[in-house]
Amino acid sequence: MAEAPSALEGDGFAAEAISHLDTLYRGALRLTRDAAQAEDLVQDTYVRALRYQSSYRVGTNMKAWLFAIMRNLFWDRFKGRRAEDVSLDGDGDFGLYDTLHDETAKPETQVLDGLAADEVVRAVDQLSELHREVVVLVDVEGFSYKDAADVIGVPIGTVMSRLHRARQALQRSLWEYARESGIVHGERTEP
Amino acid sequence: MNCPDCRERIDRFVDRELSEDDLRSLEHHLSACPDCDDEYRLQSNVKRLVRVACGEGEAPAQLRERLRQLLS
Repeated sequence: MAEAPSALEGDGFAAEAISHLDTLYRGALRLTRDAAQAEDLVQDTYVRALRYQSSYRVGTNMKAWLFAIMRNLFWDRFKGRRAEDVSLDGDGDFGLYDTLHDETAKPETQVLDGLAADEVVRAVDQLSELHREVVVLVDVEGFSYKDAADVIGVPIGTVMSRLHRARQALQRSLWEYARESGIVHGERTEP
Repeated sequence: MNCPDCRERIDRFVDRELSEDDLRSLEHHLSACPDCDDEYRLQSNVKRLVRVACGEGEAPAQLRERLRQLLS
């Protein structure tokens, strides 16, 4: 029986790994919110990936494998604590749609189109780390719930609940920016 | 499908994670419920905005070069 391939050899591994660099760097930038730390995090990720190259299985998702290495390094090295210890309390439900319908006659798409890209990035950056990483994986990088769950090391249901809470918080921030920018008027009401 | 059931599934619909049966039921509900359809379109637009805003940009050239040397 033929032995299952374990790792790409030499140049093949390097070429595939480097093809994910921009994606990893963008993810690192969102996780760390700092360009210098993002560079360090990505470099450390590749050092570790190279060290454990033999554990990568050919034909599996290298981007997910690299992201898993990177997010674990992020929590170990940059946060100095376990992700599971971080509280997600304090994020009450908030629906941009309901708020807009209560307080402004403008269609929500018009409000969203009025927001600049850097305001959206700022809203993502204001999310808690646990919320931010799931938004990066699912919304930015297009990971499936299963792949995101594998990267983070949690059940799929946890990914779904974090994503829902993250989107609620995101809507809250985007609404605040829209109000500060004069796109909508009125005070936000807590549900 | 009623509105609460629909709202509970909109995240998965936006993320293309619904089963075929749920997908058909939800689309049927959205076609007849303007409020839920608006909520779906809002969620979808927020996801698109985040993907576009955070999905651009390249790694610095010096980092790329360092990694090329590391991997060579």
